[in-house]
Order: sequence, then C-alpha cells, then structure tokens
Amino acid sequence: MTWLASVLGSLALWVGGGILVAAAVIIGPSRIRGLRDDVASRLSDARREFAALCAVLLASAVGRSSLQTVSELFGLRLTGLIYAVEGDFVEWIQQTYATPELTMYFSSVYVYGYAFLLSFPFLAYIALPRTKTLRRLLVAYALNYAIGLALYTVVFAHGPRNLDVGTSLLFTYNPEFTALTSEVNEAANVFPSLHTSLSVTVAAFAVMTRDEYPLWTPVAVWISTSVVIATMYLGIHWLTDVIGGIALALGSVYLSCRIVGEEEEADGEISGDTAAVDA
Amino acid sequence: MNRHVSRREALAGIGLGALSAGCLGRTRNIAGRNRPSQLTLQIDTAPADRDPNAIRIARHLAENLNAVGVDARINTLSRTDLWRKVLINQGFDVYVGQFLESEPFDPDAMYAFTHSRFVAEAGRQNPFGFTDINGVDDQLERQRRVEGRERRDAVAELQRSLCELQPFTVVAFPDPLSAVREDRFEGWTNRQPLSPGALLRLDRAETTDGTADDGDAGTAENATAEEETADEETADGDAVLRLVTTDDQITENWNPIAAEYRRDGTFTSLLYDQLALVDRGEVIPWLASGWERVDEETVVVDLRDARWHDGEPVTAGDVAFTYEFLRDTSMGSLDTEVPTPRFRGRSSVVRSATVVGDGRVELAIDDVNDAVAVRALQVPILPEHVWSERTDVATIAGFEFDVETTEAVVSNNGDPVGSGPIRFAEATAEESVVFDRNPDHFLARADSTRDEADPAAGVPERFRGKPAFERLRIEVSPSDIAAVAAVGDGLADATVSNLGPDAVPRIGRDADTRLVTGLSGGFYHVGYNARRAPLSNPRFRAVIASLIDKETLIDEAFDGYARPAASPLAASSEWVPTDLSWDDRETDPVYPFVGESGSIDTDEAKELFRDAGYRFDEGGRLLSRGE
Repeated sequence: MTWLASVLGSLALWVGGGILVAAAVIIGPSRIRGLRDDVASRLSDARREFAALCAVLLASAVGRSSLQTVSELFGLRLTGLIYAVEGDFVEWIQQTYATPELTMYFSSVYVYGYAFLLSFPFLAYIALPRTKTLRRLLVAYALNYAIGLALYTVVFAHGPRNLDVGTSLLFTYNPEFTALTSEVNEAANVFPSLHTSLSVTVAAFAVMTRDEYPLWTPVAVWISTSVVIATMYLGIHWLTDVIGGIALALGSVYLSCRIVGEEEEADGEISGDTAAVDA
Repeated sequence: MNRHVSRREALAGIGLGALSAGCLGRTRNIAGRNRPSQLTLQIDTAPADRDPNAIRIARHLAENLNAVGVDARINTLSRTDLWRKVLINQGFDVYVGQFLESEPFDPDAMYAFTHSRFVAEAGRQNPFGFTDINGVDDQLERQRRVEGRERRDAVAELQRSLCELQPFTVVAFPDPLSAVREDRFEGWTNRQPLSPGALLRLDRAETTDGTADDGDAGTAENATAEEETADEETADGDAVLRLVTTDDQITENWNPIAAEYRRDGTFTSLLYDQLALVDRGEVIPWLASGWERVDEETVVVDLRDARWHDGEPVTAGDVAFTYEFLRDTSMGSLDTEVPTPRFRGRSSVVRSATVVGDGRVELAIDDVNDAVAVRALQVPILPEHVWSERTDVATIAGFEFDVETTEAVVSNNGDPVGSGPIRFAEATAEESVVFDRNPDHFLARADSTRDEADPAAGVPERFRGKPAFERLRIEVSPSDIAAVAAVGDGLADATVSNLGPDAVPRIGRDADTRLVTGLSGGFYHVGYNARRAPLSNPRFRAVIASLIDKETLIDEAFDGYARPAASPLAASSEWVPTDLSWDDRETDPVYPFVGESGSIDTDEAKELFRDAGYRFDEGGRLLSRGE
C-alpha cells in the first residue's frame, strides 16, 4: 500500500538523520573512529546475544499469528476487568490535556521518537570499548519481546480506543500511521505495552551508562517518558498496560544484568552464560 | 437483612454451631441454601475498530446496569469470535450486535430469528433460546400462511409480542453510510449503495482522455508490454473496483453458510447466484429464468443456461441438492440432522426438491403466501460436486470434535466454486481479496444479443452487460477513519463497512469524496440469552430494555445517523402498527427509558426491578440466586 511505503520512507529518513546527529553529538568523533578498527571483534563478541534477539524476533514474526489464534480461543479475556479497575483514566487524560499541538507531538514521538530511541543505543553501545552493555541491551530486548509475546498469548484484551474510552487520536490525526501500526500490532494485544517496556528499558540503560554518555541520559529519559505518556494519550493503551510494561522493562533489565554478569568485566572472554551460572 | 459474612467465618460458625447444638439437620437446611449474590452480566460486543457503534451501546448499557447495582462487564471479541460465541456456542449473557440483513426485509425474517423450533440449533436461528409457544410461534406461522390484510394483522400482533417479551431489545436502525468517489465508477445512489444489486449496477465513469476503454480493448502489444511492468495500475487499472473494509472475514473465508463469518453476505451472494434476486424491491429471476406456483404446495423452477466457475454446467440436480443440503448438511449420513446455520428460515419453507426435467426442478413447499415462497428462492445455489464431499463430521487431525458439526459448516471454502457474476482470484488473509468478473455469467453474455436465446431474459436493463468492473478488489483497513482516508486519498473507490461518528465528518474534506447512504435492515440490538436466569424472565428483560435511552444513543453513538425504533420491522414501516411506530416520540412506546435525556433515574429503575420481584442488598446490589 502506498501509505506504508511513504510512512516507512519518512521513518527511515527521520530516524537515520536523528542517528547521524546523535552519533556526532552524543557518541563523539573519537569513539566513532575507534569503532572503525574494532567493530568486527565487538560484533563477534556479542554474536550469541545477537543470535538470541534474532531468534526471538524470528519466532515472533513466524509464530505471532498462530499464537494470536491460541489467544483468541483460550486467552484470558481481561478487557472488562481492566476497564472495571481503572475506568476512564485514559479519557480523563485526553479531556484534560489534549491539544492539536500535543497530539502532533505525541504522534510523532510514538512513531519516530520510538524508532530512534530503540535503534540509537545499538550504535552507542557498539561504540563502547567493552561490549558488556551492548550484550545486556540485546538480552534485555530479547527478554522484553519473548515475555511480551508470552503475555500477549495469555491475555486477550483490547485497548481503550476499542472500548470508546477516549478517542484514537493517532488514527484520527494521522490515519496513514495506521498502515504501519497495523502491520506491527495486533489490536487485541495491549497488555503489556511493549512501547512502554522497550522505552523504559532504553531509559534504564541510559541511566546506567550516564558516565559514558552523559548527554544521552536526559535525551533518552525525555523521549521514553514521552512515549510512555503517548501510549495513553493517544488512546492506545490502558494505564494497566503501562504499569505492566514498566514492570516488564525493569524485570528484563535486571535479568539481563544477571545473565551478562559483572564478573566477566575482568576477562572479556568468559561468556555471559557461564558467568550467570557462576553467579 | 443479614450482615454478609465471609465464607471462612461462615464455615467456622457452621462448624461450631453444628458441634455445640448437635443439630446437623438444621445446619444442613441453612448451609444447603445458596446465598444470593450480586448479579453479574457480561456484555459481549465487537471492539470499536470493527464496530464503532456497538461498543457505544454496550457502554451505555453497562453504565446504567452498574448504576442499578448489576455488576456489568464489557467483553470485546473479534467479530468472528463474537458470532461464534453467540450463534454457535450460545454461551453468552448479553450481546450487542446488528441484525445480519443489510436491507429492509420481509417480516418472515423473524421466523428463523425467534421461532422456538430452532432453540436447539446452532446458527443464526433463534440465538436467544427464546420460546413463546402460544404467542410468537403461532403468529410466525400465521403470517406465513395468510395474505393481505390478515397477514398485516398477524405481523402487527407478532411485533407486539416481540416488543412485550423482549427476546432482544431493538436500539436503532443505522444509516448505512459509505464514502465513495466517483472519478472511476459512477452510479452510487442513496438506495442501498452497497447491496449486491447496487455493486453490479455501477457504471464506469467517463474519463476525459478516453483511457477507460483501454482496459477491455487494449491493443495486444500494449497489454503484453505493460503486464510485465505493472499489473493493475496501468493496463486495466480503470476497470478495478477497489473497496475498503474494516472487516477481514472475506479475506479468509468464502463459505456462504458459515454463520460466524458472514455479515450480510454481499460478496458471497455475488459469488453464488440465487434463483431469485430482490433489487429495489423488485423480484428478478436470477439463476432461474422463471418459476410458476402450480398449486399451493408446489413451485416449478426453470434454470438458465449457466456454468460453475470451474466449467461444470449448473444442473437441476444442483438445485435439488442445495435444498436437501441446507436442511441437513450431513445429507443423512449422521444420526442427527445438521441444519444450515444460515438461510434456515428461507430453506425451511421447502420440504423437498425433485428434478423433473432438464433444467427444471419441482419444489414441494409448505402452504405459504407468495412473499414467503419467493424468500425460499433466495438461497445460494451450491455445486453438488463440491459440497457433497463436505457432508462428513468435521475433524481435526482425524479426531471428531462434535457429532453435530459437518465439514460443510466449518469449511473456509477456499477457492470457492460458484456460478455468480464474480469469481475468486486471490486473497491474502487479513489484508485483501480479489475477485474477477465472470465472463461466462448470463449478465456478462447479455450485453448485445436480445433475440430468442437471450441469456438474461427477464433481467432489467440496468444489469445487462454488468458488472462494469473487470476486477473487484477489497482491502482491509485498520479502522473506519483509515478507510475513509483511503477513499479520500484515491486509494479506494468506496468503504463497505460501518463508519462511526468520528469518521463521517472526514468524508466532506475531500472534494472527490461523497457520502452515500440508504435504508438498513441491520438494526442494532441487545440480545439476551433466555436460557440463563434471570434473563429467562421477560419481566427482567423488560426492565433492562427500559435502561436503554435510545434517543440519546442516536445522538451520542451514531451522531444522528440512525433512527431509534421499538420494532425489528421499523425499516419496513408499512408493517409497523401505529402503537409501535416511533415517529415523533421521544422515548420507547413499550418500555420507556427510566430517566431523562441520557441520565438514568436509579431509584425509579430499582423500583421497576422490585416490582418484577427482584431484591437488593443494603449496598444497593441487585441480588440473584443464579449459579
């Protein structure tokens, strides 16, 4: 569809541009130069974690539709419960704060900001001499997706806009974005919010690496907070999904730090798995 | 009333009491009684992306139910899951949905919907488990037999019974809104713009540079050269009718009798011809070239010269097979009959069908009036050589799941073989489906010749040589707003699914886009599962009906694009007696809303429940002794 192509095109343009600027400002020329000699060995260092993430993404791409069927047939139907618990919170957010400018801002953040937020850390952490952070990030992403997929299968719930709690501001103002979001998302997969969990994951890593990238920390925290608010402001997720997403993020970050342990810092050769066993 | 005690306290108390008093008999008498608890009702409906209006009705009802002390929860399901739950499994409390007819219908449509003979069947027939043996059943049968004034009276009585007993509460008849653009196809009217007849009637729009004709004629060199570069955009691009829908069911299932997959069945009725087609209120001989009612109980039907999409001839045997098959999709191979989950009311008119000659079938029918007899001719005729293979019990990996389910009712019917004016080309599940014009169809063959052997004799001029498109492409859109935007951007020619109030204002924004509408038979209603207490009690259902403020819902859920109604036949106003017609009323004539302009009067509503024999605890919760 023409919409999808145009959204993907502008997405590539904006995110690519953003990464270039951020690379120059945040990572800095010296680390970029260091990257040139070392990138192959760093990537090979993190090959297991890359493989793990790819495996999860592949499984998600291949198995999603059949897991969706399982969810439809046997999943816990929690839409009514979530609504009974939190009521019209999302509608309240919209009614209290919505303005055309904010809608424009949050729509852009939800699509462009989020894509940038997720892709930039790859480059930033490859540019670090030690690959520990990169590997932890990859593991954390993989955990987010894997656990998220499992929860999507167990829980069958529609988001607020599908209950007419608030309106779907993303769809109302930017219908062409739906070409992209409907490719990526299933309407009945709202718990937990993966937008929230992955954004919070990136923010958590940004806080942990504030010594290496002091500029990145406030940027990442700002964008990820915006994404988290956007999920509710745009009527896509419940507050419950967001809380679930934050919990998933913190859990994944914690686990990734356990799996890719501290001890190996002394010796980069010890693989993450054995370190975890030793710990 | 007693203070509520927790279960643990109760058990401890019972234990002590039983020991100390040694009076086990009395304890049993008390503890053996189920304690009443708050009534919980689940309201099933489709999510807003699929049906922007139903969810608003469901929320309105849930809000008012909660206000009177019922624990009402909304449960959103995909459309297929919703109808599977309601129509097939019948395991629902309350649902909000549309009556699955796109056009105003004959009163006999209520026969299958509410007759008690269908309570045990899975399908569109009587999903409520509703029984009213001496009232509704009698009236349904009577309106089938009598004619003229007598039938009018019988239908009026039927509506009064249905309005009083409320097996379902009619909420509103929506305007079937559609956004269309006219630069490629014209002839969109405000008379059922999306009915099978209307889609077939469309004409190609005149284009200034005359490229519109290239699609058909296009020189051979041109065609071959362009086919390699772009298939639809250039060579025959003008001949593709592009529709957009939020309903993805047509991209994965083409079974005309699958109750949970079909809405009004527009596209399957273009794939599968019926013997007769009703367009603009006119009965048109369709796959049948004509029929004659030779006596009260016999109709003789003559077929046109037609072929199935796979090249086999359509025979009288196929027609006879179809009626037998709709009565029992197992064709007698199973112990119990497995009747069709769609067209049950229509096909139930025909007792048997016999081949009496080449292209001639004799239908033995009940003693019914002509209107009902013609309805019996409006079922999809199925090819025997395809469907006779599907009469066995459906299995998964060789295991039988249910002896009352045949392969025929669960088959997706991939690559459907019909005889209709369009034939299946290709589909991508959840994304799109493409149909081609069927050049062998009698409409397509009828463009020039008008002699003795006219293949479409008796078919009005507006259908001759149609359809005007070479291909029909249906794209799935994630929401009604995106669907309207797709038409506005020129990516599609028309929307064919429900548009909510947020989508409608967008239609005016593009100069090329126009809003068309018509009259819908698909009334929104709240359906009750009368198999479950307290919904089995008509008094209880009546109180629920008076919790629904139809006038306010018209404004809020439909933005005014709907008409409130009390009777399910309100779209055919000639059948509605004045005591049930809405006209200038502000509230329902039978069960008026308790409250004013949208806000419910909870005290009065609770009084209604008390009058009906229900009680509340001190917290204001409605009590029920159900399971």
